[in-house]
Amino acid sequence: MATGQPIVALTGVSKDYHLGKVVVPALRNVSLAIEPGEFTVIAGPSGSGKTTLLNLIGCVDVASRGQVLVDGQDTGTLTEKQLTRLRLEKLGFIFQSFNLVGVLDAYQNIEFPLLLQKTLGKQEREKRVRDLLERVGIAQYAHHRPGELSGGQRQRVAIARALVTQPRIVLADEPTANLDSHTGTAILDLMQELNRAGTTFLFSTHDPRVVSRAGRVVRLIDGEIADHDASAADRLAIQ
Amino acid sequence: MILFRIALRNLASHKLKSFIVGGLLAFGTLLLVVGLALLGTLDVSMEKSVSNSITGQLQAYSADAKDKLAIFGNMNGGTDIGTIGDFARVRQVLESHPDVQAAIPQGLEGGMVYGGNIIDTKLEALRQAEKAGDKETSAVVRAHVRRIVGLLAADMAKIGEVTDLANASTETRQAVADLATAGNDAFWQDFDRDPLAAMEFLENKVAPLALNAEMLFFRYLGTDPVRFAKAFELFEIVDGQAIPPGQRGFLFNKLNYEDAVKHKIARRLDKMKDRLEDGKTIADDTDLQAWVKLNKVQYKEITFQLDDRATKQVRESLQKHLSSTEVALEKLLPLFFEVTDANFATRYKLFYDVVAPHLMLYAVKIGDTMTVKGFTAAGYPTSANVKVYGTFRFKSLDKSALAGSLHMMDLMTYRDLYGYLSADKKAEIELLQKASGVKEIKREDAEAELFGGGGEEVVDAGAATPTDVAVAASPVDEAAAATQVAAHGPSKPAGGLGERASNATKLYRDELNKRVYTQQQIDTGVVRNIAIILKKGVNQRAAAASIQALLDKEKLGLQVVDWRTASGAIGNFLWVIYSVLAAALGVIFIVAIIVMNNSMVMATLERTREIGTMRAIGAQKSLIVQMFMAEAVTMALVFGAFGAGLAGIIIAVFNHIGLPAWNDVTIVLFAGPRLYPTVGLHHMLIAGVLVSLVTLFSTLYPAWLAMRVTPLQAMQDAE
Repeated sequence: MATGQPIVALTGVSKDYHLGKVVVPALRNVSLAIEPGEFTVIAGPSGSGKTTLLNLIGCVDVASRGQVLVDGQDTGTLTEKQLTRLRLEKLGFIFQSFNLVGVLDAYQNIEFPLLLQKTLGKQEREKRVRDLLERVGIAQYAHHRPGELSGGQRQRVAIARALVTQPRIVLADEPTANLDSHTGTAILDLMQELNRAGTTFLFSTHDPRVVSRAGRVVRLIDGEIADHDASAADRLAIQ
Repeated sequence: MILFRIALRNLASHKLKSFIVGGLLAFGTLLLVVGLALLGTLDVSMEKSVSNSITGQLQAYSADAKDKLAIFGNMNGGTDIGTIGDFARVRQVLESHPDVQAAIPQGLEGGMVYGGNIIDTKLEALRQAEKAGDKETSAVVRAHVRRIVGLLAADMAKIGEVTDLANASTETRQAVADLATAGNDAFWQDFDRDPLAAMEFLENKVAPLALNAEMLFFRYLGTDPVRFAKAFELFEIVDGQAIPPGQRGFLFNKLNYEDAVKHKIARRLDKMKDRLEDGKTIADDTDLQAWVKLNKVQYKEITFQLDDRATKQVRESLQKHLSSTEVALEKLLPLFFEVTDANFATRYKLFYDVVAPHLMLYAVKIGDTMTVKGFTAAGYPTSANVKVYGTFRFKSLDKSALAGSLHMMDLMTYRDLYGYLSADKKAEIELLQKASGVKEIKREDAEAELFGGGGEEVVDAGAATPTDVAVAASPVDEAAAATQVAAHGPSKPAGGLGERASNATKLYRDELNKRVYTQQQIDTGVVRNIAIILKKGVNQRAAAASIQALLDKEKLGLQVVDWRTASGAIGNFLWVIYSVLAAALGVIFIVAIIVMNNSMVMATLERTREIGTMRAIGAQKSLIVQMFMAEAVTMALVFGAFGAGLAGIIIAVFNHIGLPAWNDVTIVLFAGPRLYPTVGLHHMLIAGVLVSLVTLFSTLYPAWLAMRVTPLQAMQDAE
């Protein structure tokens, strides 16, 4: 599926956090490229830098050193406003705790990014939201508020919200962590199906089930990439 | 829009909090709209009552004035607001201005008049009877006077029981001696030998001791009565007639005339009648009960005034009405005044049919010529005789003592009293000089001669005015009396310098009251302030500035103020209410701001993840701020509209039933007994803007906090 230009390209990226006078390195000299159509997992134990890496790619944080290119744009040179715009146009987010807007129903939560984009008319918006509701299998819950939905249903709403702007890549931070195994499997099935239909996914996780489904695994240990092989041996090693 | 949808949902999901904050906003809006509507209406009604009764829309007075003009503000009229030397010229300039309808001359002063003295009245009747040779009436009146002397002597004896009269002041000892003389049989047996001397003794020595020789203090407005009546639409004559054009004269304000000049018991009965008609009952109302009691104990106010013939008539009527065989009027009258809700109407009628015709119902009657005493600008006592033509009132303000305390006097008499040397005054001085043989009087001496002493104080206006001895008895005129004694010795007008001057002045003064002045004569001379009536539809503020500019250009040395400033305390009253309203609203809105701010800060903290998520999926900071604003505006709109709507209903109800005035001041403020407030679109708009500002202000800090939430906070939450 590779098309020549990667969606995400990291070159020599480091990220330091400052705790008082102590500098804590979260990422060290990471280089990584994500090609369109990938279903990639960033694996590693807690504190290994998975979330930091995802934040840099997700343009919600900036690197201390090195270059992060998202859809060809160097995030280090963009203003906060431009970064926000980049997130809106090119990225989709799926959170561990779903992070839906509690006062809006499923339909409205999914529609929300489109309203921020202000590019589609009402009818196009409705069509796209309805389609997605169907695809993620919660059409009958369109007008339920998050409080009235189960965890799996909420994550399905979150997935639909991440996909509604047709982003270049969907970033998912531990998407199955708050779900029971049955639901988690169903959600992974859904994402894999969406991946097959063309959406690029990048996960952070330490859930072996997610890793076992990955097309490619990037293993992080102490902020460094230990390994990025896509072979089954790798998967087994992490298991 | 999505933001309002989120806002509404947020408000709905925190119902209690929304209702507390919203309740505050709604109450604030309600207070604001009701307050603004009431004050707006008050402003209009007050302008109507104040500017259409006395002040005009604008007032002009001396730019050099030491004090500020305060038409309702200063009860003694002694503020130094300077003078306007040449009214004719100022009038001409003012009325040449395109905005000015009329310029009305004015001057406020305080004065006093002696209320009718029963002995004086009876002596006058005696004189008439003697002159006519009516022996029977003369005998009845003499008996009445003798009875009064007896009552006075009895009162004096009572005083003697508690104080040592032998060691009392010279005046008191003299009074005791005079009463003894007048009570002596010999005095009355000798009466016919020299009736004039006897009457003079009674008039000079005994009459001043009579109980009801009351002094009436009042304020009056010196003005051009004809032009005043034309300029002020609320002015109307109640009893009698207007002062004839060009003539001197006096008009009592109806309310004060009834309150202060009418016979006490009659007045009390009138007030009882009004109150009963208002739906109160003697059985329940404590004021009415108190008045009944007062009437019962004050029967002497009546018996004192009745001669034998009248006593007999009243006794027979009361006996018949009360089915009583009691002979003493002193017992019949208290029985008669023991009124109840059932018999009040009959007794009220009987009082006016049977008793009142024998009483001096008013201390000064319409048609009387009374002597008004006052002080000149320089502080000398002064007096003028002026005919009472009638009473007047200001329409719809007739129940307010504030508007009802100001009487009216013609400008010529006013100037005389105030001590300005008018053409008439000059003539009088010349006459005095001639009559008294004084060759030359310096300006300053002339004033002393005219106002401080000399024959002038001896002149009586007639039955209802005091003698010069009465003057001496009043402390205010002590200086005058002293001057008088020093100049002429004992002030009996028994020949000599004083009498000649006095007679000349009296004749001159009688003639003055018949004189008719031209408008030119009325206008020429001093006034203290000028009411400026503007043409309809003229902008007051612009007119004031332009008139001031004109007066400055003409170098007239005058300042122009609006009716509000000119009216003094009452003009500030509205500002006081405005301030109270502003303070109340301030407190409410500050509380609203604190509560709202607090609850929104809490909401921001609660919603950190939600805000972070929105930021992460691409919402700009500005959108987050807008979201908070939308919440505040929704709140302001929903609850503000509710408060304003409720306020509209309240005002509509007030407008329908009218807000009753509860005292003197409110009658003037309301321009009548009830206020019918209206609410304008601008009141709603002001309220809307203010409430929106308050809510937006209370949103600033939480919105700033929300703006600082980063998308990372949505992510970190996951770990």
